[in-house]
Amino acid sequence: MARGSSLRVVIGTLLLAAVGLPALAQDAGHDGQISEKAYPKKAYSPYAGRSYPTRPLFGDTHLHTAVSFDAGAFGARLLPRDAYRLARGEEISSNSGQPVKLSRPLDWLVVADHSDNMGFFPDLMAGKPELLADPTGRRWYEEIKNGQGAKAAMEIIVSFSKGTFPKDLMYFPGTRAYRSAWKDTIAAAEQYNEPGRFTAFIGYEWTSNTGGNNLHRNVVFRDNGDKASQVEPFTVYPPFGSDNPVELWKWMDAYEKKTGGSVLAITHNGNLSNGRMFPVVEAFGKPIDRPYAETRARWERLAEATQTKGTGEAHPYLSPNDEFADFEIWDKGNLDCSVPKKKEMLEFEYARAAYKNGLKLEQKLGVNPYKFGLISGSDAHTGLPAMEEENFFGKTAPQEPSPERTQATFFADPKTGLKVMDWEVGASGYGAVWATENTREAIWDAMQRKETYSTTGPRMAVRFFGGWDFEPRDAQNRMPAAIGYVKGVPMGGDLKKAPAGKAPTFLVAALKDPIGANLDRVQVIKGWLDAKGEVQEQVYDVAWSGDRKADSKSGKVPSVGSTVSVEEATWTNTIGAPELITVWKDPAFDPALRAFYYARVIEIPTPRWTAYDAKRFGVKPLPGTRMTVTERAYTSPIWYTP
Amino acid sequence: MRKALREPLLHFLVLGLLLFAFFEWRGGGAGAGRIVVTAGQLQHFAAGFARTWQREPTESELKGLVDEYVKEEMAAREAVAEGLDRDDAIIRKRLRQKLEFLAEDAVDQAPPTEADLRAWLTTHPDAFRVEGQVALRQVFVRRERPGASATAEAARLLARLRVAGSGADTARLGDPTTLPPELSLGPVREVGLTYGDAFARAVEAAPLGQWTGPVESAYGLHLILVRERLSPSVPDLAAVRPKVVGEVIAERRKRALTALYDGLLTRYRVTIEHPAAPAASGGAGR
Repeated sequence: MARGSSLRVVIGTLLLAAVGLPALAQDAGHDGQISEKAYPKKAYSPYAGRSYPTRPLFGDTHLHTAVSFDAGAFGARLLPRDAYRLARGEEISSNSGQPVKLSRPLDWLVVADHSDNMGFFPDLMAGKPELLADPTGRRWYEEIKNGQGAKAAMEIIVSFSKGTFPKDLMYFPGTRAYRSAWKDTIAAAEQYNEPGRFTAFIGYEWTSNTGGNNLHRNVVFRDNGDKASQVEPFTVYPPFGSDNPVELWKWMDAYEKKTGGSVLAITHNGNLSNGRMFPVVEAFGKPIDRPYAETRARWERLAEATQTKGTGEAHPYLSPNDEFADFEIWDKGNLDCSVPKKKEMLEFEYARAAYKNGLKLEQKLGVNPYKFGLISGSDAHTGLPAMEEENFFGKTAPQEPSPERTQATFFADPKTGLKVMDWEVGASGYGAVWATENTREAIWDAMQRKETYSTTGPRMAVRFFGGWDFEPRDAQNRMPAAIGYVKGVPMGGDLKKAPAGKAPTFLVAALKDPIGANLDRVQVIKGWLDAKGEVQEQVYDVAWSGDRKADSKSGKVPSVGSTVSVEEATWTNTIGAPELITVWKDPAFDPALRAFYYARVIEIPTPRWTAYDAKRFGVKPLPGTRMTVTERAYTSPIWYTP
Repeated sequence: MRKALREPLLHFLVLGLLLFAFFEWRGGGAGAGRIVVTAGQLQHFAAGFARTWQREPTESELKGLVDEYVKEEMAAREAVAEGLDRDDAIIRKRLRQKLEFLAEDAVDQAPPTEADLRAWLTTHPDAFRVEGQVALRQVFVRRERPGASATAEAARLLARLRVAGSGADTARLGDPTTLPPELSLGPVREVGLTYGDAFARAVEAAPLGQWTGPVESAYGLHLILVRERLSPSVPDLAAVRPKVVGEVIAERRKRALTALYDGLLTRYRVTIEHPAAPAASGGAGR
């Protein structure tokens, strides 16, 4: 090698070392060794081998298109391909013909149409032996029997449009519009999935709704179409389907055994289940026992904490000391308003209460069925995952922007007198995932290990790590995520058997949405099973903007105030902070007691979509309409087991 | 005998029998009142069940499938006979959807040619452009800080960084933040997602290899160094073929739908009966 180039190599190495290594090694004392663990120096390039996620990936776990029977009935015409185009950042035309574009592309999307009308179309040819007399008919019949029905159907369609359909078969009903919505859903996802840039998941919604009580789950595949197309989605009508989640879990198990693939389920709208989403005693006539808990914990990895039909983290009745619990609550009854809500149902509907009961069940059964992470989707039935307050396109096609949508009724049951208004629908939410890269496998794996959080729409970057050794100066580190992964576990993780004399410490960091509102505060919510076997909870303010002081008695930090002008639908970032980070230690830890901790990040108040509508359309909202919102993020918990 | 053969009643009987046979053949025994669940259909139910449950149905499950089918068949026939399929918004929307599926699916019969794809890529380069990439370092200064003001601190740091050069050790420079001090080579778009669009534009305009700034983001001030930059480029067809195919087909499907309705309109005469015009309130048209 010529001397000149070897000199260049040396200088290059030194430069790279100078650039890369100091950032790793010299950050005040022992941090160097810690950071080095996250950045193994074996690689020539200091940036290679970085194995932890560096940017949250935002998406929607729950979007419906016109493939869903009810969406189409409402008037949706957009299909999965349209939804993917919008999600990837293109401008498209909405169901009502209005131009729409997201402020920024999403990173991933699950089009989760209802499985009940997705199934294969009836194979009517099977019942018509006279077809077999015609050679063309026989060939089509054989193709259909051999799994080439689509090919046959296409030929049929084409020959029909060209007028070459065999005359003998001309009057045969039902052969022409064969189309498998499931296969088309898969094809659309395959077309728009772009590893590294945008992930289109294959998925569907299993819509158990017996008696109007919502027990819906979204099923998300880790896999590509080659595996997903080997099965039909699970529906709710026997004998092909069932409305019992236990049967859905059997379907999931059968899928994995047959294909070697992976699926997980995400529950949503416990708030509309009238007490059935998170049972503790019995479900569908069978007791909640250890097998139930194990199976549920295995398959139901996540729950949607917030979406258009209300927020399901906490309820003011269950958490009277939590002044932020009364947020976008839907608690009038079940999904179709046919049965009113009773207070005793609430405990089995909301995530925080389910986490608490989960500790109790773990004590009793040995397994915690309710160790789910938190994430979000919209449940929009428009094909438009447009959930920003200033860019909200409604939950159904009639709720796309118009002067009427702040005045109209969403649904009402004249027998019960229960009514939900369109204005009560929330512009919420998106899910955030700490995945190592933007691919189906990496994002799904992050969902599986619950390294996810939910947001009501804004794209805050939230970190939550738990460990035994975090110190206040870790909050000053330039690479807190590196410290977090090395010294602790991320959101969704577990801490066990406290070392003697130590209490759990948490590194929590939140960055505002770069185009959004400042942050008011970060809280850690703790739940535990006390020595008497009762569940308890406590909300702690751990970081907040400005120089507000926590009240000496209650520990609560006063309100951040508001800069919202409802009339103008504006706010200013003159209060709050763009970034909050802290290390917090549990001041009341008992190593013998089971507990969970999760972080909740709250923004300063901003105008709600109803305020933007009032301003833009010049309409007066109905009395009682909520006009401001305090957006928030909820992380998956970290559990402590003695 | 021959007289008998000429008997009109016999002719009628024979004609009737022929008609009956003809309709039997045509309708496959599915005239009103008769439902035949064929062996093929039973196989079909079992196959559908197996694809869902990954096992064959039991006898009682298969019976359940048949029962459901029979109920559905009877109900469907009765409903149609009573005209329940008319004036039903949901059924009409579904019928429209199926018709549109047919028109769109016809497009799939003639896949685009090489020439089609190349032409599309040439006329729509923006949709396929590989985005520009950038690798950068940043040092952060909070707007609200103790001691020196943000702008003063930024100026001081910038001078120091310029002296230290592109390999500067920034571990203890600037104010702490969770924003990463390094972004390895990646799309400029991702810089925008983390720091905001204005910041990303400033990064695009910044000179290569030298500390510059301060650049503002939603979080504060930043001194930045662009270490590497790759310009956007239009790829070869080979690199983006599936995407181009998708776009061409999407465009053809849209045109197929337009053609469908244009074609239908030539076969229907549409009359709109506006109410007698009230005073100029624009009620007539939309």
